[in-house]
Amino acid sequence: MPDFSIEDRQAICKTFERLLADKCDETRLREVIETESGFDKALWAQMAELGLTGLMIAPEQGGIGGFIEEAEAALEVAGAYLYNGPYISTCVMAPMLLSTCTDETLAAPHLQSIAEGKSIFAIAGCAPSGDWTAELNVTANAKNELSGEAGFVVHARNADHCLVYANIGEDVAVYLVKMADEGVTLTPHKTDDLTLRLSSMIFKNALAQKLEGVGAKHIQTALQIALVAQAGEHVGATRRIFNLTIEYLNTRFQFGQPIGRFQALKHMAADLLIEVENASSAARHAARAVAAQAPTSNVLTYLAAFTCADNFRTVAAEAIQLHGGIAYTMEHPAHLYWRRAQTGQWLFGSSDRFRDLYLSQMEKTL
Amino acid sequence: MSTDLKQEVETWLAAHWDSENGRAVGSSDYDQKSWLTKVVDAGYAVPSWPEKWYGRGVSPKEARIIEKAFQARGAKGWGRDRFHLGAISIFKLGSEALKTELLYELLTGPICCLLYSEPGAGSDLAGIRTRAVKDGDDFIINGQKVWTSNAVEAEYGMLLTRTDIEAPKHQGITFFIFPMKQDGVDVRPINQITGEDEFNEVFIEDARVPERFIIGTLNQGWKSFQTAIASERLIMGDGITSRLRGAAGKVPTLLALAHKHDKLKDPVMRQEIAQAIAYRQLNTLNMMRAKEEMMKNGASSLASLGKLAMSRIQHGEARLSAKILGPQILLTETEDARNANFDAAKAYMNSIGGGTDQIQKNIIAERVLGLPKSTDVSRNIPFKDIKSG
Repeated sequence: MPDFSIEDRQAICKTFERLLADKCDETRLREVIETESGFDKALWAQMAELGLTGLMIAPEQGGIGGFIEEAEAALEVAGAYLYNGPYISTCVMAPMLLSTCTDETLAAPHLQSIAEGKSIFAIAGCAPSGDWTAELNVTANAKNELSGEAGFVVHARNADHCLVYANIGEDVAVYLVKMADEGVTLTPHKTDDLTLRLSSMIFKNALAQKLEGVGAKHIQTALQIALVAQAGEHVGATRRIFNLTIEYLNTRFQFGQPIGRFQALKHMAADLLIEVENASSAARHAARAVAAQAPTSNVLTYLAAFTCADNFRTVAAEAIQLHGGIAYTMEHPAHLYWRRAQTGQWLFGSSDRFRDLYLSQMEKTL
Repeated sequence: MSTDLKQEVETWLAAHWDSENGRAVGSSDYDQKSWLTKVVDAGYAVPSWPEKWYGRGVSPKEARIIEKAFQARGAKGWGRDRFHLGAISIFKLGSEALKTELLYELLTGPICCLLYSEPGAGSDLAGIRTRAVKDGDDFIINGQKVWTSNAVEAEYGMLLTRTDIEAPKHQGITFFIFPMKQDGVDVRPINQITGEDEFNEVFIEDARVPERFIIGTLNQGWKSFQTAIASERLIMGDGITSRLRGAAGKVPTLLALAHKHDKLKDPVMRQEIAQAIAYRQLNTLNMMRAKEEMMKNGASSLASLGKLAMSRIQHGEARLSAKILGPQILLTETEDARNANFDAAKAYMNSIGGGTDQIQKNIIAERVLGLPKSTDVSRNIPFKDIKSG
């Protein structure tokens, strides 16, 4: 795996930033989220051309061989633009799970196809409860047939493939299905966050391919990198909505002066800056620890999971308050960030759950 | 070069410092004056300064090599070019004559105390009222200073005074290096809410200071003071990081306390404890990132957040400690309760001392976020016309 320098990482992010500024500005984003699919295929193809879909895929499989630090940094860029494509499932979790599979003839073509931007993956990784750390509902039998239900599957309708976590006896394993396969049905849901596309998936004796060699340990690692990647996305979004707010405090005049001169607002802004920086530090240190497989990687991942999610919601909520009436309109982007922030607090499990897990990790030092 | 320097310092220390007994080789007790004199004469007290002013003219990086060698042996007197605020101010702002007269004495003596805040000038420090009135070659000082640490030991204090009441408040201030050991200087310890008395009040009545002891120029003391306070903030930032480094890796205090009192099963308590520990860890991560940014860019706005963040951490931990202990917190009979009550009071040291959280938030909003400065209605009027109370 090639070693990425900070400069390489910055170069990737700059390219991504230019692309999103051009193709995912607020006007375009609003067009995309109004469509049924909520997914911009043309933009995805351009991301593939830039190597972004193969960011975490090895060069032998057509990727550029980055890891979680590169993904975290790229997702900070994505978050700033509220980019809503199936990046974490397709480009972060799926490559990690597929590359762990001992059957290379099964995995390699899929990795190649993801890197080329031709394949979109969904991950059916939790029960209808939505908690990724709780018991699964889907069960596999010895003939690799899946039955049961998975909840909160992101971009299932835009995906051609799905990795399904399933119970097999006392163990858990990961299975590959095509969305079009017999016995696989999905029910799209309406969501409060307009950038989000969520479905439930029901499996009825759906014939799947087992990812040999992928077990509970790898499912745990996939969750870990997904949480860090999502933390990066939150950080990017948090900083953007915070900066928009500071800009507004400098340019909105009342009582003959910029409202940012009033201490009540200044103090809110200073408090929020701590939340913004706390989130940045948490996400980046978690990415670094996971990349280095440091003993602190679990602690820092859980810390980043709840801190980045909660701080995004706090900053976005206060951003609306600091803007006043203008942000109480659908036309203003603040509510898009605020709604997306709520998504982040629940998508892989609740902040409270991760806070508890963080403490459990700490208790091991007792 | 740097290995040579390290070797040289270690050889010198081996010959002169008895680390086992914490004193100079061949002496029976630690004598501050004679030891500091040795260190200053060897050029190790202020290595980043030129030789003419008792230094070695080495880079800050090389200076750290010397500091580390001293620290490793528990030897005193290192880093006075970073920590002796009085000597640093004279070195940076004093005239050639003043440096010649005082620098050596300051470096070989105790650190200077800071005579800045007054009962009527805390957050609004430029509102100080302690008067300095010219009398021959001297100034006569009258007034009261507060929150002064080390006032009893200090031989000199760095004194902010009012010398022109007709000018606006920032333009009539003069900064002195002030001899403490004289009649008319009365030091009284403050009985703090923690039960400690590390701070003092300093009452000054008709005390004298020579005109040549002005740091900078007459009536332009506010500018000199800004230089002095910048050195102080560097020390405070450094203190925060090294203290946190000390705490890293240990079991968080709150966790140990909750474990001891069997509160780790309650899911509500777990959430609160986890969040409190997280706040502290996040601040550590921020300060690590600040350090990386400083190494790379020479500056980091993150460093200015540490003190404000620490207020939420300390007050929060204190509240939670009380919750863990329950009604036991009312009694002073257990060490845990005593510590928790002490910490609850001590947290105000961070949220008030060195600029209250509210002042700190203004500074962050204005200097880091670039929001417009708040108006000071007393800024442009003659000092004598400013309302007080």
